[in-house]
Amino acid sequence: MYKTTGFLSFVLRRVTGVALVLYLLLHIWVIGSALSGPETFDTRLNFVQTDFFKVLEIALLAAVIYHAFDGIRLLLMNWFKVTDKRKNLFYAVIVVSALMVIAGGLPILLFMLEG
Amino acid sequence: MSERQTEQIATVRIQRFNPEKDNKPHMQDFKLAYTRDTTLLDALHEIKSHQDGTLTYRRSCRHAICGSCAMNINGHNMLACNSPLFQHLGRKGVVTIKPLPYLPIIKDLVVDRTRFWKQYLRVKPWLIHSGKTVPEKEYRISQEEVDALNKAETCIMCGACYSACPVVGSHDNYIGPHALLKSFLRVLDPRDDASLVRLEEVGTREGVYRCHTIFNCIDACPKGLDPTKAIETLRNLAVKRIAFEEEKQKRQQTLSDKTA
Repeated sequence: MYKTTGFLSFVLRRVTGVALVLYLLLHIWVIGSALSGPETFDTRLNFVQTDFFKVLEIALLAAVIYHAFDGIRLLLMNWFKVTDKRKNLFYAVIVVSALMVIAGGLPILLFMLEG
Repeated sequence: MSERQTEQIATVRIQRFNPEKDNKPHMQDFKLAYTRDTTLLDALHEIKSHQDGTLTYRRSCRHAICGSCAMNINGHNMLACNSPLFQHLGRKGVVTIKPLPYLPIIKDLVVDRTRFWKQYLRVKPWLIHSGKTVPEKEYRISQEEVDALNKAETCIMCGACYSACPVVGSHDNYIGPHALLKSFLRVLDPRDDASLVRLEEVGTREGVYRCHTIFNCIDACPKGLDPTKAIETLRNLAVKRIAFEEEKQKRQQTLSDKTA
């Protein structure tokens, strides 16, 4: 194991990537049930509107945002070859992602607490 | 060793593995006196000469040019011969030395580099020259051309980048940063005539597209080289080569249409 910011970004990228695929399956499971009639759809939709899934929704937001900005970082790396700025770019991705997760996650959390 | 410097005691924690006795590697502590001039390789010499003659490691030139003594110091790959011991001591005066990661251990700090050299030969690291434009005396390469190589020609083949790469750890067939850097060097070299063949070799899922841009190769390189930049450049060139080939095939198609 070789621990650097690059390795951390790689692990986060893989974990969020797999998480997003799993989310997609769940999403299809819920939305696809619309074909089986309104009752099934309502049951499944109620199932994913519990507090547990609201917290997971914040995690989903974090995964989407990190994965997207990490992709942009890699594109910048390929276009401009700024390998000497690799650590700065990684920290920038973390900071921007964190700010956006707070901005988007706080309303979800408040909504959840208000019921 | 200068007289001004006072000697202190350091603990050198070394990963030991004897394939004839041990099932798996274990750590062993050695204590030794050091000064600011002591390098990690000096420490290993001291241990081998005076404390435990069975300690096994590779070393040759002691001038950071042979690339034999690359090893993992406190989790980072570097050359033992140009790394001062005191710079790597933790708060408790301990330095941990392990063999290069992801490679099979032969004994103690010696690893099996067969894969490293096999992948190196895959990219045909030598100059391929058609012989059409041989000058009378020697080739004169402009400073701009030399700068474009990004010092890639100063690679000492120590294996620090190769064994720092997690992709190397998970994919046996990955060409690796050392060989891709060499391929980059030959592709950009104005004297080389086999750029397209080289790009075809590295522009595969075992080559540049397998790289996950983790940058460990840059962090590990004791010569301050940049294999990631080389891989990114090769990636762009490999894409351009495919685009060119496809365009050419289309043009050839119109040729056969017309003759029909």
